Amino acid sequence: MRFPTRLLAAHLAFGALLWAGYVVVIALFTVAVAIIGKVTGSIWELAAQLPRIYVLFFGVSLVREYLPMYVAHGQTRRRFAEHAAATIAVFAPCMAALMAVGYLIENGYHALAGWPQGLERPHLFESTGQAGLVFSEYLIEFLAWATAGALIGAGFYRWRGGGLLLTLPAGIALVLVAAGATGSELRMPFVAKLLAFRVDLPDSLPVTYAVGLGVFLAGLALTWPIIRDVPLRNR
Amino acid sequence: MRVEVRDLVLRYEDTFAVDGLSLSLAENKIYGLLGRNGSGKSSLLSVLAAFRRPTAGEVLIDGAPVFENAAVTRRISLIRDVGETVDVGTVEDVLFFAEWLRPHWDAAFAATLLEQFSLTRKMSVKTMSKGQRSALGVIVGLAGRAPLTMFDESHLGMDVPSRAAFHDVLLADYMAHPRTIIMASHLIDEVSPLFEEVVIIDHGQVVVHEEAETLLSRGIAVTGATAPVDAFTAGMTVLGSRELGPTKSCMVYGELDEARRREAAAAGLQLGPIAMQDLFVHLTGGSR
Amino acid sequence: MFDDRSPIYRQIADRIKADVLSETLKGDEQVMSTNQYAAFYRINPATAAKAFQQLVDEGVLYKKRGIGMFVSPDARDSLRAARRESFFSEVVDPMVAEAKAIGIPLGEIVGRINELGSR
Repeated sequence: MRFPTRLLAAHLAFGALLWAGYVVVIALFTVAVAIIGKVTGSIWELAAQLPRIYVLFFGVSLVREYLPMYVAHGQTRRRFAEHAAATIAVFAPCMAALMAVGYLIENGYHALAGWPQGLERPHLFESTGQAGLVFSEYLIEFLAWATAGALIGAGFYRWRGGGLLLTLPAGIALVLVAAGATGSELRMPFVAKLLAFRVDLPDSLPVTYAVGLGVFLAGLALTWPIIRDVPLRNR
Repeated sequence: MRVEVRDLVLRYEDTFAVDGLSLSLAENKIYGLLGRNGSGKSSLLSVLAAFRRPTAGEVLIDGAPVFENAAVTRRISLIRDVGETVDVGTVEDVLFFAEWLRPHWDAAFAATLLEQFSLTRKMSVKTMSKGQRSALGVIVGLAGRAPLTMFDESHLGMDVPSRAAFHDVLLADYMAHPRTIIMASHLIDEVSPLFEEVVIIDHGQVVVHEEAETLLSRGIAVTGATAPVDAFTAGMTVLGSRELGPTKSCMVYGELDEARRREAAAAGLQLGPIAMQDLFVHLTGGSR
Repeated sequence: MFDDRSPIYRQIADRIKADVLSETLKGDEQVMSTNQYAAFYRINPATAAKAFQQLVDEGVLYKKRGIGMFVSPDARDSLRAARRESFFSEVVDPMVAEAKAIGIPLGEIVGRINELGSR
């Protein structure tokens, strides 16, 4: 299989650009908070809620824009699926690494200004300087959000509203399981309440990674049957 | 590439877009695919390009089934108004992906075409005019040099000079790099001189598949006084007629040998050609 | 003579025949290729080739394998002969019919012809 360099290059370049802009905006926002009030902890932690929405739409647009483009350029749906999976598999860690670097940059100016960098929510990591754990958490989160996006994008592309109804619950489940696995604040609240059952995973990085990988593969496995013979839309 | 369609059926939910269509196209000719709106021509093209899986029947290209067959699909290109190949960011992005995904892509040719159609790489596809977007599609279709290249109403929104440029460059590139080209268009009289063969489809079936020149020679307008025109055309396939006072003009479809021609001359009748567009109108059931 | 062959064929044939008659194209001179004609008239090269084939059949052109199409050495003479043959039926007869229809006495036409001939 030829590596999807251009698909990746286009998204990574755009993602990195967005990230760079975002880092600057958040830094300026932090300064503004410091001027009118008091910086009480990591602002980047709060800001990090938004990138996953971008990653979700990255997944959606992979199917909505690039699947028709691949087929119209004479590529098979299978080839697209391989490329899309490889693209997500590389894109997610790259974006996760940028998130970790975001925390490190924040560490820098918070230390200089003497602001605290405490965390408000539960995480896989306990301090923003634990780059490896920060990376791991966002990697698993982004893998889940990107595949959920691809799944929902595929459902909507093929069946419009009906497809959305079909794939949205599965997409949400992928995201929740991943969140549960990283111990972040979305610890499967609905499922836990509904079934009076709570998944408390042991504090084990291999288990977290295994669940993350499982979510990624499950997302791909659910998306493939939808796109394997999908007709290109006429409109 | 050779195209072989056997008993093709394509159904959308409860309507048959293509209904038992069979067709055989030889290599390296320019084909005109004509049909009214909803006749099934776009559906046929989307099956030939593996955009859709047929409901029933067979589509063989160079002898191999086309759907999800990478060895075949990589040699096929269908450009249509939906804009699958152009709806990404800027012209630069469109070329970036086309170059990478299209095995026979000619980047230098694409650059020449950009200039010819006055497009620049920085242009955003979303803010382009309809004609510019169509021109970009045409560029992707031509520079892709796919052995089976299809254009489905790719001229939409293009002005007359741009369409003339499109037809000039299509012909020149076809002569330099012969390949099978299928063009579907409603601007029949404008594109029909480009065709070597014409396929007319109606209600999801082939009505006519004929060499363009043969088709044109079969369509004859018989003009003269009403009575001799009626007498001469009796028993022939009459596509339509118009009357102006005592004069009648009858469009007939069929061959006339020398004897019949002399007969017409003796009866004071004029025989004349019919434009492809008029033939098309009458062969697909007139204005309904 | 009724000619319902395609206008494209007629365009090409008329152009070449006119060039031969006016000696713009001389005997054994090469004519432009079918591709050049196709590009010029914006038509399918197969159509142009067919028009050329008909000119070959009519003896106006001849083919040299792998090189191209040439004007037959006697093309001009035979075209002139053919035109002479059809001159009365295609030019004079319709003229006389027209003159009768609009009421010009034939004597007036003869007078005019003599006048033009003696200039």
